[in-house]
Amino acid sequence: MFCRVLSAAIAGVEAFPVSVEADMGDGMPYFAMVGFVSSQVREAQDRVKTALKNLGIALPPKRITINLAPGYIRKEGTRFDLPIACAVLEAMGLIAPEIFEDTMIIGELHLDGSIGSAFGVLPSVIEARKAGCSVCIVPMQNLAEGQAVSGIRVIGFSSLRDILDYSQGVIPEQEDGERRMRVLDYDVDFADIQGQESAKRAAVIAAAGFHNLLLMGSPGSGKSMTAERIPTILPELDEEESLEITKIYSVAGLLPEDISLIRRRPYRAPHHTVTQAALCGGGSPPRPGEVTLAHRGVLFLDELPEMNPAVLEMLRQPLEDKRITISRLSSTCTFPAAFLLVAAMNPCPCGYYPNINRCSCTPRQIQIYQSRISQAILDRIDLRCEVMPASYEQLTGRQRHTEKARSSAQMRAQVMDAAEVQADRYRKLPMRFNSELRAPDIERYCTLSKDAADMLKAAYSHLGLSARGYHHVLKVSRTIADLDHESVIKESHVSEALCFRCQEKLHSQTGKPGVQGGG
Amino acid sequence: MRSRNYRQEKDPKLLERIRLIEQTDPEYPERFHEYRRMPNSFYVLGELPDPKGPVVAIVGSRACSEYGRTQAVRFGKAFAEHGIQVISGMAYGVDAWAQHGAIEAGGRTFSVLGTGVDVCYPDNNYVLYRRIIREGGGILSEFPPGTGPDGWHFPIRNRLISAWADLVLVVEARLKSGSLITADYAMEQGKTVYAVPGRNDDVNSQGCNRLISQGAGIAWNPETILQEFGIAAEDASVKEMIPDKTHSYMKKSVRKGGENRERTAEAQTEARPGTRLPKKWEHADDFQKVYGFLNSDPQQLDTLAMLSGLDLPSLTGVLMQLCISGYAIEPFPGYYCRS
Repeated sequence: MFCRVLSAAIAGVEAFPVSVEADMGDGMPYFAMVGFVSSQVREAQDRVKTALKNLGIALPPKRITINLAPGYIRKEGTRFDLPIACAVLEAMGLIAPEIFEDTMIIGELHLDGSIGSAFGVLPSVIEARKAGCSVCIVPMQNLAEGQAVSGIRVIGFSSLRDILDYSQGVIPEQEDGERRMRVLDYDVDFADIQGQESAKRAAVIAAAGFHNLLLMGSPGSGKSMTAERIPTILPELDEEESLEITKIYSVAGLLPEDISLIRRRPYRAPHHTVTQAALCGGGSPPRPGEVTLAHRGVLFLDELPEMNPAVLEMLRQPLEDKRITISRLSSTCTFPAAFLLVAAMNPCPCGYYPNINRCSCTPRQIQIYQSRISQAILDRIDLRCEVMPASYEQLTGRQRHTEKARSSAQMRAQVMDAAEVQADRYRKLPMRFNSELRAPDIERYCTLSKDAADMLKAAYSHLGLSARGYHHVLKVSRTIADLDHESVIKESHVSEALCFRCQEKLHSQTGKPGVQGGG
Repeated sequence: MRSRNYRQEKDPKLLERIRLIEQTDPEYPERFHEYRRMPNSFYVLGELPDPKGPVVAIVGSRACSEYGRTQAVRFGKAFAEHGIQVISGMAYGVDAWAQHGAIEAGGRTFSVLGTGVDVCYPDNNYVLYRRIIREGGGILSEFPPGTGPDGWHFPIRNRLISAWADLVLVVEARLKSGSLITADYAMEQGKTVYAVPGRNDDVNSQGCNRLISQGAGIAWNPETILQEFGIAAEDASVKEMIPDKTHSYMKKSVRKGGENRERTAEAQTEARPGTRLPKKWEHADDFQKVYGFLNSDPQQLDTLAMLSGLDLPSLTGVLMQLCISGYAIEPFPGYYCRS
């Protein structure tokens, strides 16, 4: 007897439907699996056979053939155990074929018949809805994740025994979904940082316009602390973004069991020894890397010059295209990678330059250290900020000028305002933030006042601003103007953007590294 | 592996100008015969220092501070303006800046290298190297052409810097600085030594301050040294240094050569006040205030915000005005000092 149930396989961060077909016929007792399956999937036959045996169901001495269609795409993972078991039960006549009509089934089987969790449940449920299914059967552990999708009934199962009961019309007790929808707050806040006004200001500008940020400063000056708090001031995630992020984490198997939808901006801080595959994704089948896990959030790269240059250069494509394509023998995947890059570095190997009294580096060392970051990467960073170690007064909160450090909530309110202004302005464009402005659009959207234009002109000729730097400054001043609710960019916006500009050459043009100028 | 940071001159027109000066040659400086440990011969690319004119050596720290840089340029310029030839080692920092200042003022300057005369070390100074030759100066070395940089070459070439000079000025030096070796040779050769004083807690000035305590002259302004050569010059340091209350970059019309995009000391000085424009500016008072808090030490944005009590948007506005109009510079991103 032939029967068929629906399941789904994962490619990249998307799922595609796979029909699991089982046929039981006469012949030598045999259990065959076909359909371009990996060895992980092939192992399913032993798990299914044993799980059925342990539930007291003996497989008949017949020729059983399992096919996973379409046959031209390689299938990976243990998520097909449950659909295979269901198809076999149907073929044996233990479950009526109409039970699993319009139903997608995902889950791993244990030998005792219990159902284990699977990766990528969320994209599968989305795919099920798209395929017109009305019910999706998922492992109980992935119930919260599956319930994030509306318009389809998602039922969690914890054992194969419950599946048999389900065929009799008994629906297993579901865990309370409400409890799982809670929004988690960030456990860090900008109020923890005393002083550091310029770093905080740079953070607000970066968050508001989604500008990449480079933090420079001596060891222990609070670069990491600042970076860690940037997600807390980014605009809140909307439903669509939440779903995007949750899909990624679901596929990567990093989704906590009790979270249905990720509502916090991700913050990823890979160590500087990170490999190419870990940063950008890789493996076979390709799995998302740090750039993808930081999608719609912050990717923090500490000690930038210490990173392997080859790894660092790989960031070029994702920084430009907001996605990354990984090609492997078995498949080619494109992962989303729209992250906010926050990089941090010391100004020199010892970390104290330009404090000549403490810095023990030679001019040459500083030059080599700073030149480890290629121009290509620097070109993609709009903002640069110096972070100074806090003074004792600031640390103890006894500073004269700022009574109380600004909190993330206050800063986020500013950022949200600016984000709204941008959303309104770019509603007809496929972009949301000022940082995404392309050269032809810059002229159109960055209207300068007379004074501002004068200042930029003067800066261009007297501060050694390059053409590229000019565009960076324009984009950043657009964001600063948005923070001020100004439609025309004023002089003060330009000057602040100039102050935070990422200079072409990081090291000083004067002082230590010798004369650069001359005729 | 050490990366190569010197540059071999390849221009055949330049290379054929290299000359070897033997002890017997008339061009061999006469006074060299009086000193100990002088080379029997040396190489020159370009001109030799004019033995009839005064020569001052300006030496100092490679890792110089902003203060060292401005002082080196200031002294280099002042000497060049009064026809004094400047000799130095073309190293990073003070050496290069002093020679740069001298050239900017139209003077002749000479470099004594620790490499062959056809090897520019460090390679950052290549532009300077070519300018020195082009503008009537010279590159000197006792090492044959093609010699690369070697640690031991540099202390011994210092004896030649002092030998050619009539006076040695140390701009910035740490307690264990190579510049002090030059000063030692100078004293051994009976030359006058001057040092630019600095603050006690600046490690870059400790060597200079110790030289002063040992009897070196105090180079508190270039005129002091000019007087040593019998040149009476008016003290330029007394001139007004505070910017006026005008919208500063409006002054670009009074700047000479607006297309000159180099942040040279010359361009900055030219931008100093002198012309008053009628236009008043809303931030004029802040302008004065922030300029008052700037000094020769680069200070970070937050420090300036704390000192001046201004919020960041106004402060950055004022600072950029100061930078564009040449009153302030940003020697290192995010740090500001007076130009």
